This record gives sequence, structure tokens and C-alpha cells, in this order.
Amino acid sequence: MTSAGLTAAPAASAETAHALQPAPSRRRRFTLRSATGQVVLYGLLALIAVVYIYPFLVQVATSFKTEPEAASDPISLIPQTFTTAAYERLFLFSDFPVWFANSTAVTIAVTLGRVFFVSLAGYALARLNFRGRGVIFALVVGVMSVPTVVLLIPKFLVLNQLGMYDSYAGMILPLLVDAAGVFIMKNFFESIPASVEEQARIDGAGTFRVFWSIVLPMARPALITIVILSFQGSWNELSHFIISAQSPELTTLTKGVASLASGQLSQGTQYPLKLAAAAIMTIPVAVLFFVFQKRIMNTSEGAVKG
Amino acid sequence: MTAPAAPAEAARPASSRRPRSGGVRRGEAGAGWLFVSPVILILGTFLFAPVIMALWVSFSDWTGRGSPFSSNVSFVGVDNYVELTTGGGLRTRDFGTALRNNTWYVLLVVPLQTALSLFLAVLVSRRILKARGFFRTAFYFPSVTSSVAITVLWLFLFSFAGPVNAIIAWFGGKGPNWFDEPRGVVHLALSGIGVTSGPDWLTQNDFLGLSWWEWLAGPSVAMSALILMAVFTTSGTFMLLFVAGLQNIGYELTEAGLMDGANGWQRFWHITLPQLRPIVFTVITLGLIGCWQVFDQIYTGTKGGPSKTTLTPAYLSYQAAFQNQDWGIGAAIAFILFLIIIVFTIFQRWVLRDRPVSRRRIRAYQTSTYAKGGAS
Amino acid sequence: MTRHTARTLLATGGLAVVTALALTGCGQGFTETPPSESGAATDLTSSDEGLTIMIGSSGDAETNAVKDAVAAWSADSGVDAEVVAATDLAQQLSQGFAAGSPPDLFYLGTDQLAGYAENGSLQPYGDMLANKDDFYDSLVSNFTLDGTFYCAPKDFSTLQLIINQGLWEDAGLTDADVPTTWEELASVAEKLTDDDTVGLVFSGEYARVGVFMAQAGGRLVSEDGTTAEADSDANVEALSYVQEHLKDGTFAYAADVGAGWGGEAFGKELGAMTIEGNWITGALGDFPDVQAKVVELPAGPAGQGTLQFSNCWGMAADSPNQQAALELVEYLTSAEQQLAFSEAFGPMPSVESAAEQWKGDNEDLVAFLDGSQYAQGVPTNKGAGEVVTDFNAQLQSLESGDPKAILDSVQSNLEAIVG
Repeated sequence: MTSAGLTAAPAASAETAHALQPAPSRRRRFTLRSATGQVVLYGLLALIAVVYIYPFLVQVATSFKTEPEAASDPISLIPQTFTTAAYERLFLFSDFPVWFANSTAVTIAVTLGRVFFVSLAGYALARLNFRGRGVIFALVVGVMSVPTVVLLIPKFLVLNQLGMYDSYAGMILPLLVDAAGVFIMKNFFESIPASVEEQARIDGAGTFRVFWSIVLPMARPALITIVILSFQGSWNELSHFIISAQSPELTTLTKGVASLASGQLSQGTQYPLKLAAAAIMTIPVAVLFFVFQKRIMNTSEGAVKG
Repeated sequence: MTAPAAPAEAARPASSRRPRSGGVRRGEAGAGWLFVSPVILILGTFLFAPVIMALWVSFSDWTGRGSPFSSNVSFVGVDNYVELTTGGGLRTRDFGTALRNNTWYVLLVVPLQTALSLFLAVLVSRRILKARGFFRTAFYFPSVTSSVAITVLWLFLFSFAGPVNAIIAWFGGKGPNWFDEPRGVVHLALSGIGVTSGPDWLTQNDFLGLSWWEWLAGPSVAMSALILMAVFTTSGTFMLLFVAGLQNIGYELTEAGLMDGANGWQRFWHITLPQLRPIVFTVITLGLIGCWQVFDQIYTGTKGGPSKTTLTPAYLSYQAAFQNQDWGIGAAIAFILFLIIIVFTIFQRWVLRDRPVSRRRIRAYQTSTYAKGGAS
Repeated sequence: MTRHTARTLLATGGLAVVTALALTGCGQGFTETPPSESGAATDLTSSDEGLTIMIGSSGDAETNAVKDAVAAWSADSGVDAEVVAATDLAQQLSQGFAAGSPPDLFYLGTDQLAGYAENGSLQPYGDMLANKDDFYDSLVSNFTLDGTFYCAPKDFSTLQLIINQGLWEDAGLTDADVPTTWEELASVAEKLTDDDTVGLVFSGEYARVGVFMAQAGGRLVSEDGTTAEADSDANVEALSYVQEHLKDGTFAYAADVGAGWGGEAFGKELGAMTIEGNWITGALGDFPDVQAKVVELPAGPAGQGTLQFSNCWGMAADSPNQQAALELVEYLTSAEQQLAFSEAFGPMPSVESAAEQWKGDNEDLVAFLDGSQYAQGVPTNKGAGEVVTDFNAQLQSLESGDPKAILDSVQSNLEAIVG
């Protein structure tokens, strides 16, 4: 019996994750105990889930309340007087539509660009042999470790020097490449067998052709990951937009809502308005999240293994 | 057998590989460089070059007009750094305040978020759990939202007449004016037991412009609200990392522990947790790096107030450069922060490193193996 | 592996050198104009370029008023002009100057003048104005550095006491009870304080608490700007008075009652009185049920005192069409235009020729204009802004703090920049 414990170590490495291995006899013996355990577990989880979900519910509810009601009755989830005044103000009397359009444009451009460039580079680093490949990869990894705060001032200075300040180019270009993305794609390409590519090469296809028509379609899972990450990253980006542009026409959602929070549309603490803006801002990423939920939840496994 | 061969090829250092002339691999080197060039160009221009430029600005007296490389800008050595650390004026005090605030933030957020995400992961990974997906989604959702949106939400939740205070009132208490309360929680706790001012050796000596008594004031109530927000938003991401790790742990060791009579807590602490060590490592590192750079929430919400208790070095760097036109000081603060992050990361790796097992322990294990009579 | 490491280092170093050189090359070609010496009245530039005007607006009323005025001038003069309302004026100006593309005209506060003048970003044009003799002397001196009159004051405001007439009468007070001394103010505030309302609410910053310092005879910096006077006994007395009443609950900071500023607290009747400036008229449009009355602040131990605020129209040295900008400023600071602005969003005209007309049009607000006779300006030295920010940070904990210690730290900060 005890030897089972000693052989467990080699056995564990051979097994993959086996979440369900209850010995049936044990289950029947502790039925009552496990029932109480289940109640406690569900209760605890439900309580914590309420803490996590309630803020978002109250956010949506408050955005439909009037301002005095938001101040006098903050907890309730059903407004006494249902009003869309905040949303009207947001869409008709502010630059919110402009912000939304800018965010959308920038996010789409960045996502498309990133997917393309990052997969190119990842493929090159994984499959193509050229001198200095190791150096490049080391630099990419090294760059991943530079904290963003250090880059706040200097990126502004560089954009300034290059004449790209206060333009869409300045907002999009620096975000087009992401070191983490290169890392992910390289790892992915290394994990797929090279036999298909070899075959295509023997048939005479050029390198780019092989990449574009053969390898890239095989990389769908990783590409979707990159799409999700870059959509989220650029939609939620703030500090880069602060330093790269200043005209009101180029303001994105993050910058605009941040300026709302410091009370720009008028004085006063207009919570329904601010919460409405924050809620609308969250919708696209939330939709993306729910659509790709399974993939997002499982991406972290790749991060652990990688 | 091409599958293992291809990764093996890739693993060999590039320098020892002779590029084949002609044949199916012709033009590969050129293609390789071409493919990587956008990445090099953009990373080089917008990540690498800025760091060099900022380094120069931090050593110069550029005032913000014209090019920092023009001839009227001169090299002033470490003047900016000296003024920040030993100058003794307002700048030093601001820098000390920012460091103090951020240190408390890190000290509280990192352990809390690690513990909470681990706890959630364990709960969500229980074998008998149904609706696992629902709970995981609920806990992960806040991590998806932008920091701006969450800060706006938090400003409402913790406002004076907001839901949190209403809930506290429902339980009979009186919530503080969260985002406007500048007193530190440690000081508040101490004054609750009657200690209102510190001993002389704490109040008379200072570091970076703040007396040691003020260093020990703890995070302000406003900062505490931000700490809660950080834990709320990041626990989901780290929970997923732990969930993946827990799934990878085979059940056999835990089963062995069960048979040896370990209770739930012992099983967790001695069997599960050590196997999660690499993930704990990752989570703490990511947490540290993230916490030292907190900026978005300050910019959106409190802008350093109340009473500069939510000022952080990242925000101070931005403020000094973009609002006060002290570009050299701003750049200097950014580099000192970079240094701090590196030091903390190295320190943390050193503390959590795999220590070689002492010989005494090895002998103890061997003895118990013989005693149990089972030799493999 | 040595070759590999050496290659890595070489590549990294090479990359660094190349980028640095490239940027230097870019940098040299970027700005040819050396920063002009501050104080020299160079000729104004002139071209066909349009103008950009950046303002830090207090609300829709102000933005629309300025846009209308500029549009009218633009149609008249044929020069394109665009008004931009900044979300963070200081930051956007700073970025604009660093990028070499600042707005041609912009709001410039007294606290920022010294900084921008010193690094050559501003074009002084005060002496070139056709109506330069019409401005109040105190305002001209606020915007004069080293003998150069930099920019035209666009308007000004003082702070006075605003009373909620409804709550006033409910507490049984009459016109005779309008406070004229500190003791009277305290007793009136006490009568007006009840469970939902605090007697006197104001923003917890120097820009409001400073009135008490002025009434006690104290200042932050001497009138000629050469000596720091923050730790004077008068200032300590003033802060102690405020602290006393913060503690007994008859005064309160706006933030502590859940409002963003004094005007909001007043409008929501969280406070029965507030200390605010001319802009209160525009803000109270959001609270039509509140009846406000403006009276002069009480006198302190040294007599009456209040603070005065003004912004000027700053002109960028890099602007390509300064001549047109000058004409626009003359238009915007003319008596008729300033009276129109005043009607729209409240501040008082900076030209004396408009004073009588303004008094006639705004009988309820005469107290503000009377205040200009004993008003103090805020410090204009370079770096004073940061010191005041720090002072404000400390004022937020005035209730539990030590006035002398606070003022001592402000004094040492001021000495560092004034000396």
C-alpha cells in the first residue's frame, strides 16, 4: 500500500491532469460530510461571486437613474424613475461618439497590424535560419522587461522628434508590435511539425508563400489569442494615448472617459453620466470576452507551460 | 522523424549553422531578416531609442522647448538625481511621499492578490463543483475591463454617499469619506488605541524628506480603496494561472497524502503548494512589476490627492514632466523607478529560489523510507 | 560562446549608437529657431495661417461664448480662427510647447507666466496693445515680469461670500445679520448649521482659505515678490481660526460633505454659505431652486481682504501669425466684448472703462467689483504653483494638523524659489 506513494512520483509525471479520480467507496462513506461541504462551498462561492458581480450591476442600474436618486439611493438595482438622460447627454451633447470611433479605428488597425507583423517575426525566429537570430530573440525578450512607466516621457519625446505627435500614426505605430506577441507566436510555431512546410518547399514555393498559405492557416488558435490580446490591450490602453496626441479629434475612449471622471462636461459629481460612459466602454471587450471565453480561460495554461 | 528534428534544428545556435547556398532553402536568410525587420524597427524606435533619449534628458537641463539634442541643452551630470534624493526641498519630499505610498501599495496588494487568487483557484477547482465555468467567468470578468472604466466605477462605489458606505450603514457603522480621507490606516488604528503621535526617534529623523513616523503611517484610506480595486481586478487573471497549475498537478501525490492521514490543510500546504511554486513565483513577479507602475488609476481618479497620499512615482514622473515642465526630473524619477523594479524582482527571485535540501533532511527522508519497509 | 556574447554586445551597442545618431540628426533639423530671450520685444510675425485658441473652460457657457466671439471676429477680419477647449490646460500647453506646435493664443494663469516666460515660449505683446492703458494697474502688474508687460488680462474675479437666502431666512436671520467680522461670521455659521447643512462650506485649498489670511493681514509672498512671508503670525492666526471652526462643525471643506467644490455644495444645499468668485453665477444655473446673494466677506483683524484671480491671453513665441493674434486680443479685451463675456459666464472686465456699465448691469454682484480694492493676487514666482499645490495638500488635513507647522513648511518651500 505504502509503496503506491513511492511510485506515485514517476506515475504522476506520466499522467496528464486527471481531475476526477475519486475512489467510489470513499464517496459513499462520507456522503453527509461531503454534502455539508458542498453547501459550504457553494455558499462561499456564491457570496464571493456576488461581490464580484454586484459592482457591474449597480453600475448599469445607476446609469439609468437620475442624479439625485443616485446620491440618495445608491444600492438599489432598480431605479425608481427609469431615465435615459445620462445616455442622451453622452451621445448627443458630448464628444463620446468621436471617442468611440477613434478607439474603434485605432484598435482595428493595431489588431490587424499586430497579427501580421508578430506572426511574421515569430515564424522567422522559429523556422528561418539567419545570422543574428539569437540576438534578435534575446533583445525581444529583454524588451519585454522594460516597465511601461519608464517609457511615458521618452516615447513622447521620440514621437515629437519624428514629427508624429498628435496624429493617428503616432497613436497606432508604436502599438503595432508587441514583444509578448512575438514570444507567443514563436513558441507556437516551434510546436507544430515542419513536415508540411518542407513538402511545400520541395514543391518550389517561396518563403513568404509557405508562410502565408501553409503555415498561417495552421496557426489559427495562436492567431486568435493574439487578436484577443491586442484588441483588449489597445482598447484599454491609456498612457500611450495621453502622450501621443492632444487634439480633441484624436481623443480615444479611455482618455475621454478619464477626463469625464475629473469632471469636464460640467462641474459636479454626475455619476449616472460617468457610469454610463464606463459601461459603454466596457461592452466591446465584454462581448469579445464572452465569445472567446473558453479560449481566454485556457490561454493561461499555455502561459504556464511556456 | 521530422517532428523532433525541426525543433532540434531551431535549438542550435545560429552562428554554427552554415547557410545552404542554393537548394530549397535559398533566400531564407534574406526572408528571415525581412520578416523580422518590422518588429526590430518598431521596437527599436519606440522602445529602445526612447530609453536612451530619456537617459540623456535625465542628465541634462532641457526645459521643454525645442529639441533635447540641440546645442543649448547642456549636460548637468547627476544633478537631477541628487535633487530628488538628497536635495531636501519640495521635490525630495514629493519623491519620498510617492515612494512611501507605492511601497505600502505593493506590500499590501501583492500578498493579497496572490492569496486571494490562489484561494479562488482552489475553490473553483474542487472536483465536486458544478457551474465551474460560471464562477470562473464571474471572477475573471473584472480583469477584462479597462482600468479607466473600473476606476470610474470605484469612484462611485466608494464615494461618500455611495453603495459601500450605504452597506456599511446598513450594518450600523459609518463609512469614511473614502477618497478624501488622507490619514494613514496605521495611524488611524494607533489613534484608536490612544497613540496619536510617534516617539521622538521616529518623528525627528527623516528619510527623503519624510519623517520615519510618516513613513509608517500606512496607506491612506483613499489608497486603501485603490488597493482593494487592484486586488479586485487582478485576482481573476492570476486565478486562471493557478487553476491551470492545479490541473497539472497529478492527483497521486495528494492521494498519497490522504492515505498517510494528512488533513485538508496539511495536504494543501505541504503537497499542493510546493508544486505550485513556479506559478506563485510568476504571480508575485508580475504583481510586483505591475504594482510599482500604477498610473492609470491615479490619472483617472485621484490625481495624487487627497493630500498627496495617492501620489506614485509613475504619476509623479508624468506630473513633473508634462505639467510642471521639469522634464529632467521626470526622466530621473522614471529611471529610479526602473531601478527599484529591477532590485525588487531580483530580491524576490533570491528569496524564493530553490534552496538545496540540507543533508540532514535527506538523511531523514532516507530513514523514513527504510522504516516504512518499502524500497522501490 | 564568447563569440556569441561579443556579437550580442556589438549588435546592441551598434543599434544604440545608430538610433541615437539618427535621432540627433532628426533633432537638429527639427527646430531652427533658437528660443528667444525673455523680455526682448521682437517684431510680431505675420502670415496667412489661421489661429488656434486654447481655453480652459469652466463649462459650456464659457466655451460657447468664446467660440461665438472668435467666430464673429474671424468673419470680420477674414482670418481663420479655431477655439479648442482643453481638458487639462496645463498638460496640453506643456505638450504643445515641447512638440513645437503650441496654440497661438491660450489662457495663461499668473502661476504659469513665469515658467513659460523663462524658457522663451511666450511672446510679450502687452506694450503693443492699443488699449493697454485701460487695464487695471493691479492686473497689469500681475502679468509684468522684469519690467515687461507680457500679456493682456482677459478678465478677473475676486472671492466674496455667497449666502443661500432661503436657508438664511429659515434660520431667522435678516439683512442686518450679514457678518462684518470674524466673530459674526462664526455665530451666523453656527445658526445656519444643522444636520443636513453646514454653515460655511468652501473648497479646501489656498485659493479659498487664503481670504482669511488676507483678512488677518498676511500674505504668502511679499507684494514685490522678493520675500517669502508664509510663516507670519497673521497667517497662523487665520489658519487657527479656520481650524477651530472646522473642528466645531460650523465650517467644512466641500470634499468632506461630498461635493466637488464649494459651488456644488452650495447648490445642493450641503452648505448654507460659500466663498466663491464670479463664476458662481454660471454654475448656479444648474441649481435653479437656490436663491443666492453675494455680500462682501467679513473683515478680519487687519480689515477686509480677499483674493483676486486673473488669466491673460498668452501668445506663443512660435506662432506664425502673431499680428493677427494681437488684433484678436484687442477685440476680445475690448469693453463691449468683455461685458458680453461677463453676462455669459460671470467674470468681471479687466478694463476700467467697462466698470460703470458692469455695475449697472450686475447690481447683485457689485460686491465682487468692490473687492478689487482690497484684493491680493496669488504669488507669481516661478515654481510657486508647485508650492501652492503642496500647501493645498497640507491644508486638506488642517483639521487635525498644526497651522504653524504647515506654514513653516510652506515658508521653507517658498524660500527655495523666491530667494
